[in-house]
Amino acid sequence: MWDSLSIKEVVECAKDPYPSIRKWIKDNGKKAIGSTFADVPEEVIYAFGFLPVTIMGTNKPLKKAPSHLPDNACSLARSNLELIMSYERDIFDGFVLPQVCDTTQHLSDIWRINFPDKYVESYLAPRQADRPSARYWVKEEIERIISSLSNWSGKKITDEDLWGAIKIHNENKILLKEIYDIKKNNPEALTNKEFFALMKLSQQVDKTELNQSLKKIKESLKPGKNNGYTDVILVGITCDPPEIYDLFDEIKLNIVGDTLLVGTRYIQGIVSADGNPIDALTERHFKRGFFSPIHDNVYKNFEEVKALYKETKAKAIIYVHIEFCESQEYDLPDLKKMIKNEGILMHTLDTEYQTLSLSHVRTRLQAFFESLKGGSL
Amino acid sequence: MSPTSKEMSKKITDEYMYEAFHAHEQGKLIGYSTAISPVELFVAHDIIPIYPENHAVANLTAKKGAELCSVVESMGYTNHLCAYARSDLAYRKTGITVTKGIPEPDLFLACNAQCFTLTKWFQVLARKGNLPVFVFDTPEHIMDTNARKEIVKYCVLQLKELISFLEEVTKRKFDYDRLKEVMKYSAQSSILYKKFLDMAQYKPSPISIFDALIGMAIAVYRRGTQECVDYYQTLCDEIQAKVDQGIGVLPKEKEKYRLYWENLPVWFKFSDHAKLLGSYGGVILTSLYVHAWSFEFDLDKDPLVTLAENYVSRFSNSTIEDRADMATELFKKYSMNGMIMFMNRSCKAVSFAVPTLKEILTKRTGIPALVFESDMGDQRFYSETQIRTRIEAYFETLDRLQA
Repeated sequence: MWDSLSIKEVVECAKDPYPSIRKWIKDNGKKAIGSTFADVPEEVIYAFGFLPVTIMGTNKPLKKAPSHLPDNACSLARSNLELIMSYERDIFDGFVLPQVCDTTQHLSDIWRINFPDKYVESYLAPRQADRPSARYWVKEEIERIISSLSNWSGKKITDEDLWGAIKIHNENKILLKEIYDIKKNNPEALTNKEFFALMKLSQQVDKTELNQSLKKIKESLKPGKNNGYTDVILVGITCDPPEIYDLFDEIKLNIVGDTLLVGTRYIQGIVSADGNPIDALTERHFKRGFFSPIHDNVYKNFEEVKALYKETKAKAIIYVHIEFCESQEYDLPDLKKMIKNEGILMHTLDTEYQTLSLSHVRTRLQAFFESLKGGSL
Repeated sequence: MSPTSKEMSKKITDEYMYEAFHAHEQGKLIGYSTAISPVELFVAHDIIPIYPENHAVANLTAKKGAELCSVVESMGYTNHLCAYARSDLAYRKTGITVTKGIPEPDLFLACNAQCFTLTKWFQVLARKGNLPVFVFDTPEHIMDTNARKEIVKYCVLQLKELISFLEEVTKRKFDYDRLKEVMKYSAQSSILYKKFLDMAQYKPSPISIFDALIGMAIAVYRRGTQECVDYYQTLCDEIQAKVDQGIGVLPKEKEKYRLYWENLPVWFKFSDHAKLLGSYGGVILTSLYVHAWSFEFDLDKDPLVTLAENYVSRFSNSTIEDRADMATELFKKYSMNGMIMFMNRSCKAVSFAVPTLKEILTKRTGIPALVFESDMGDQRFYSETQIRTRIEAYFETLDRLQA
């Protein structure tokens, strides 16, 4: 189903992947296990023969979620809850939900209580990453998730199952990286929207199949010129709705680097093929870039962003702020100052899941782009 | 004549703050700590713990919230962050405070059993002085018993890391014997603090939650000391004397509604709420929040193990199901017949569980709940008329049900 998608079909499918997921699990007799951001080891879920699906909100109206999560909760958390409560509940047999911030602190509880017919497990990733205990804890958690899935499903997995899953996931990330490299240098070959649709869909559908499409898409990309594009890097957690990428494409901004979970931070999750698979998955956790809820040093974020800016020779940074994301909001004022002190241009986009109108984003982005052209280009 | 608990509280607080402001002269360091945090390690290592939350409470109770929060918004912080954090960051910029302020920190201990926002707030403060922060990460105390054992192990590992961190910062060896002594005081004062809270079981109740909120201060910032034990002994004796004389917050015949409060208080409406509820025969007796410092340390265990077990299992870090069990237990024990569920915009960690918790508690107890949304410290989010109307309507409902 997903093994021969054209890039246009990828964009269409990424917009609403659930009808195809529903059909695929029915046709293949598989179970879908949903997870939310971030860092749930999807290879483990895949190794059990389940389809890991990262749930990334819905643009459909909120009906039930507001009575469970108030309006000052992160819009992604509300949107995810709504997606399951009102629209796609039937697809999923269970969920593995991470706890990373105040909004997600009790989300597993809320989901478990509201979906008593589903398997709901918490993934308690450490919220510190620089001490030996964090490494110990990630390994413990991966082992606990394996044991929990095993108890629920009655299945056992072997190291070979895990290595098989790791191989497919690594291949997916390597392909995405290769396509990204082509896109960075040839913005006319692939639009921002198309590339990030590949990123999104990769976290939602079967990778064995999608990798086939990625290979064909990669081969089909024709080198083009960087014809009047302005290179920028995108900083943040996610960038939604996808129509924001249309705005970037309209004004010819070429994203040449990013720190998004639906972006480079996903690609950074390539697992080493040496040793024991659980150790390898554990080590991977510490190779990924800065993620505000689990890293305790905003300087690390700044250093990473600065290095990316220099490496890509970008002209500016676009920071994507998700409304009501506390984690970003505590970091942002200082990050802005640090970036400004470096003389780097930065624009902040305020986004919200369920946003229907992007006119304010468009106006601000156009104004920034004009100043960028007038200033440093 | 022996000093009263009020006199003792003032003396303890004055001496504590004097010592804190002169810490460096005595070769001591100031460690900023979250209120629910294994501060026993600080005390045992002669680091003076300071709680920016307490300082924030003083300013918010004195209705400084809107003024301070407005300042911080002009610094680029959004208006839906925690009012403790916002008022504190504004205090750093303006010096505005109704107290003498608090001394500057040398290091930070952020325990996320309470919330994640404190960690982020402390990180902001630490960046200003490039100071060290230790995050004591407490994964949610999920219901799986095997997972709980592993969580405690992870927390014990971190406490060992914390001790190494303290040794490195202070260049002094940690004294485990001293920790045992501190734990003894902490265990004793916790038992007495709980005894004090549980006196709300009596009819009429000799204390309301407002007494508990005032009474908990010493448990928050002086646990692990002999004076903390002495204070709670005196407080318990005083309340017991009231019980013996049948003195209640309201006279027995007027005490109609014994209420549960969910969440932190609306600090700037503290006394107004007590008066308003009292006029309807209502007394708020307790909340899980005030019980957060009712530790049950087991002195027969390794101190690090009992510290880990206690801090990881606070109500704010427990599952909603466990939190409902804890609240249900309080309903039974205190014979409560009403509940006020406060959706506190400032405290997402506690508040986002409230709608689900309310569903469970109303179903289990058959008692209707009053739910209202506001902010614990920023008056701009408090709608006087709307909340008063809701309180009035709630008591009418209770009256009707009782009739």
